[in-house]
This record gives sequence, structure tokens and C-alpha cells, in this order.
Amino acid sequence: MAAFLSTLEVVLEDGFVYAILAMGYYLSYKILDFPDLSVEGTVLSGGVIFSLLVSRQVNPWLAMLAALVFGGFAGSITGILHVKLKIRPLLCGILVSTALISINLVMAVAGQGGDISGEGLSTVSIGRDAPTILRSFPFDLIPYQAGGVNLRKLVGFLLVAVVVKVLIDLYLKTKSGMLLRATGDNEKFVCMLAKDPGNSKILGLAIGNAAAALAGSLIAQSRGNANQSMGLGMVIIGLASLIIGISVLGKIRFLKPTTMVIAGAVIYQACLGVAALLGVPSAYNKLIMAALFTAALVASGRFGNRKGALV
Amino acid sequence: MIRLEKVTKRFNQGTPDETEVFSCFDFSVNSGEFVSVIGSNGSGKTTLLNLICGSLFPDSGKIYLNGADITPLPEYKRAKKISRVFQDPKAGTCPHMTILENMALADHKNKRFGLGICVNKKRTAFYRELLSVCGMGLENRMETPVGSLSGGQRQALALVIANMCESELLILDEHTAALDPKSSETIMGLTDRIVREKKITTLMVTHNLNHALRYGHRLVMFHEGQNVFDRSGEEKEKTSLDEILNIFNGISIEKGC
Repeated sequence: MAAFLSTLEVVLEDGFVYAILAMGYYLSYKILDFPDLSVEGTVLSGGVIFSLLVSRQVNPWLAMLAALVFGGFAGSITGILHVKLKIRPLLCGILVSTALISINLVMAVAGQGGDISGEGLSTVSIGRDAPTILRSFPFDLIPYQAGGVNLRKLVGFLLVAVVVKVLIDLYLKTKSGMLLRATGDNEKFVCMLAKDPGNSKILGLAIGNAAAALAGSLIAQSRGNANQSMGLGMVIIGLASLIIGISVLGKIRFLKPTTMVIAGAVIYQACLGVAALLGVPSAYNKLIMAALFTAALVASGRFGNRKGALV
Repeated sequence: MIRLEKVTKRFNQGTPDETEVFSCFDFSVNSGEFVSVIGSNGSGKTTLLNLICGSLFPDSGKIYLNGADITPLPEYKRAKKISRVFQDPKAGTCPHMTILENMALADHKNKRFGLGICVNKKRTAFYRELLSVCGMGLENRMETPVGSLSGGQRQALALVIANMCESELLILDEHTAALDPKSSETIMGLTDRIVREKKITTLMVTHNLNHALRYGHRLVMFHEGQNVFDRSGEEKEKTSLDEILNIFNGISIEKGC
């Protein structure tokens, strides 16, 4: 029972965090039809930037904003590579995430006073005295623990995910957001509205990667550090959460897609949680991830067949 | 008015397949004129429209819209002044968005797409009024995703949307070709009505010789990048279908096809 409860806790915490990443994917993959691989790098960037800043006692909300802005910047580079230099979407993501491997490492090592060409610490730890959003207002009002459950972390991450969801929902109703939807739906139509569809794409990818970096900053807070392997598998987690959410709950009309995506992220983490409860070693996690993603793709044939799908 | 000056356009340049569609081609349409363009495949009709709209750029020559040189402008910038309806009914609307959302987007054409809410419910009555002209009952289906409409309905919507904002030139690119005969008549009637009401300069490419004769002030026939037949006003009114068919067939036979 205790094992079950603690697994449930981890499932929900991780589910809420990765829901933010998956909602970013909702914009780039589902709306813009752009399979964006750059999140593999931007999630880690978000974690590294956040951890470095709070280690220097920067306000954690400001640190999260900085992570978000950097993610948006990196995402816009992916967009510019595609729109201005006409590089294929998959390659743009690979180029940016590859470049970010170096950038993240340099940031982590140099940010901690290490020597880039010599010895240095590549993992950025968040010390016990460093401010995180869970140790700051308004989350410090929530009791830290209740009934053996880390209530503050759970509620805090849920609240951040809900705020991101509400903001994305609102954004999609604005003129700019509707233009983004139109860009994914019919580029010619956007052209006829005298707008450059390329700008919409760049903006959408910037928002998607800003969400990814935000998720990265939360992952770092959850784990207490940002290490260089943090970004691995993010594409799969984000896409699988998105696709599971939409294929499982897509039939329910009154649910917003963003709500489905949050549910999808939790379901996905729950599958990993069940595997853990059954005693499957965590080394198999990435294999299970890939298998789950394949199953989700097949289950939603409509998605699997979409042009630009990851096949 | 729209004016093409000494326009040359080649395709597959530098390959054995090189074809020259236009060579030092001049063409113009006067303000307020409704011109129908006919011609066989490969005569340059669609290339003409693509050059005007900016989907293609000429190898040499200039294109002027109401005196302004638009030759270097990309397609989306020209769209400020040019509206277009495509042959494919799917091209003029967004399938996953509702009729209301499509119209709300079009309503903001030539304005800034910022962070204001896009759909303004107060405008719905106005949108309904525009749609009721089509006589297809679209005004009662504002919340329907456009993708679930028939081709004729979608094309009617595309036509209405293309004319929601003031523009200086309306381009109709075989816009009835993909429709059944009845829808095709409905769309042509609607087109005529909109063009008359707005007195907008219109360039229509069509394969339907009947439509070309019945509608518009001027009839032009293209053949191998040349303007081989050009009649307007009374002269055009007197032209019979047989006469056009003869010329058309003459050209095709001459070409040996």
C-alpha cells in the first residue's frame, strides 16, 4: 500500500510536469503539424538555467521566466531554420538540439565556475538553501506534507500545469492564436489574409519550446538538480502524452484538448508507474516508453497517418 | 487596374524540358472590368494568375497594380490588395475551424493579429447576412467545422470570405471547375452578384465557355502564351458560342491534338 501511494505520488507529480511539455507539443505538433525534436535540448536548458540562477539566490519565479525565455529563443531558431533557410522540420530539431548539447554543457560548467576545457561539474545541483517555487510565496502557504504525501509539491506542480493550460486556451482564442491554428490548417488561407505563415510557425515553435524549458525547470526542482542526461527521451514523453490524451479522451466533446493532454501525460506516467510496481527495473524505462508510444500511434490511426508524423 | 509589361516566364530552365510560357507578354485589365480568360491546357492562363498573385515570379518584366510596381512583392504582401478563389474548394478555408471562426479570421484581414479575442459575437449578425446571399442555409450553421461542408458550400464560403475585405483585384482561378453543374451555376450567379455589387476589377479563368460568354465585360482567349482573341463590350455581347468553339477547335487542330 505504501509502495502504491508513493508510486501514485510520483506518477501525478511527473504527470503534471510533463503535461506542460506535452501542451507545448500540442501547439507545435498537433496545431502546426511540426514534429519538433528541439525540445530534447530545451528541456535541459530550462533545467540548467533555472538551477544556476536559484543557486545564486535569484527569485525562483524570475529564474523560471528566464528558462522560459531561453526556451522560446531556441524554439524560434528551430522555426527560423525551417522557414527562412527551408530546412526540413525533423532536421531543424536535430540541429538545434545538437547545438544545445554543447550550449547546455558550457552553461552548466562555466556557470559553476568550472573550466570548460578542463575539469568542471556538469550537473547543477539545487542546494537546500536555494529558493525554489515550492519554497516561495504563494506555495509556501500549502502544508508541506499531509498524510505522508508531499502535498505541496503535488498541488504546486498541478497549479503550474493548470495555469499553463488556461494561458494556452486563452491564447488560442486570440487573433494571434487563431492565426496559428489557421497556419496548421491551411497555409494558403493565411497567405490570403495577407499574413506570412512563416511568422506564425516561428511563434508557435517558440511557445512550444518555452513550455518545454518551463517543464525542464520544474523537473530540476523535482529532482533537486539538472544533469546532462535530463533531456533524453523528452520527444517521446511529450508526443506520447499528447497522443495518448487525445486518442483516449478525444471523443469527449466538452473537454478542451489541453485538458486531454494533461490527462494523457498522467496516464503515460501511470503506465511507467505500473511497470515499476511490477518490479521492472528502471533501466527498461526508455524501452517501455518507446513501446507505449508505438501503441499510442497505432491506436490513433488518424494521428499516425498525419503528414509530418514521426514515422 | 492590373498591367503586365514585357513579362517573360520560363519553366525548367536549363533542362531539356525547358518551356517558355510567356515571352515579352503584355496584358492589362482596366479598373472595374470583369475579364474571363479561356484557353487550352498549357496556354498560360493559370501561370498568368500565379504571376499576378505572386505564387510565381517572372524571369523578366514588370507587374503593376493600380500603378504600383508589385513585381518583387511576395504572395502574402500582394494579398493585401488581391483576393483569390482557387479551383480547389479546400484551398480557400480552414477545414478544422468553424464557419464563424473562418469568417472572424477573414474579418481581421489587413489588421494586426494581436492578443485581442478573435471571434466577436457582435459581428455574427453581419456574417449571417453575408452568407444568406448564397441561399445555401450556411447562415444557420455558424458552428459547423468547414471540413464537413460540401464542395459547393465550401466554395461559396470561400467566395464570400475572399470578398469580405475591400480589395483592388479579385482573382478567380477556375473556381467552378471542381463543382457539379448545379453548384457551378449557383457559384457563378453568386460571383456575378458580388462583382456587380462591389464593382471590383475581376480576372476569371474558366474552362466553361458558356460562363465566359455569359458573364463579364471582356473575353480573352490564350494560346501558347499569346492573347489570340480579345473582345469587350458590345462586340463581346455579339459573340456566339459557335464562333468561340470554332476558334478554339481551330487552335487545337492546328496544334495537332
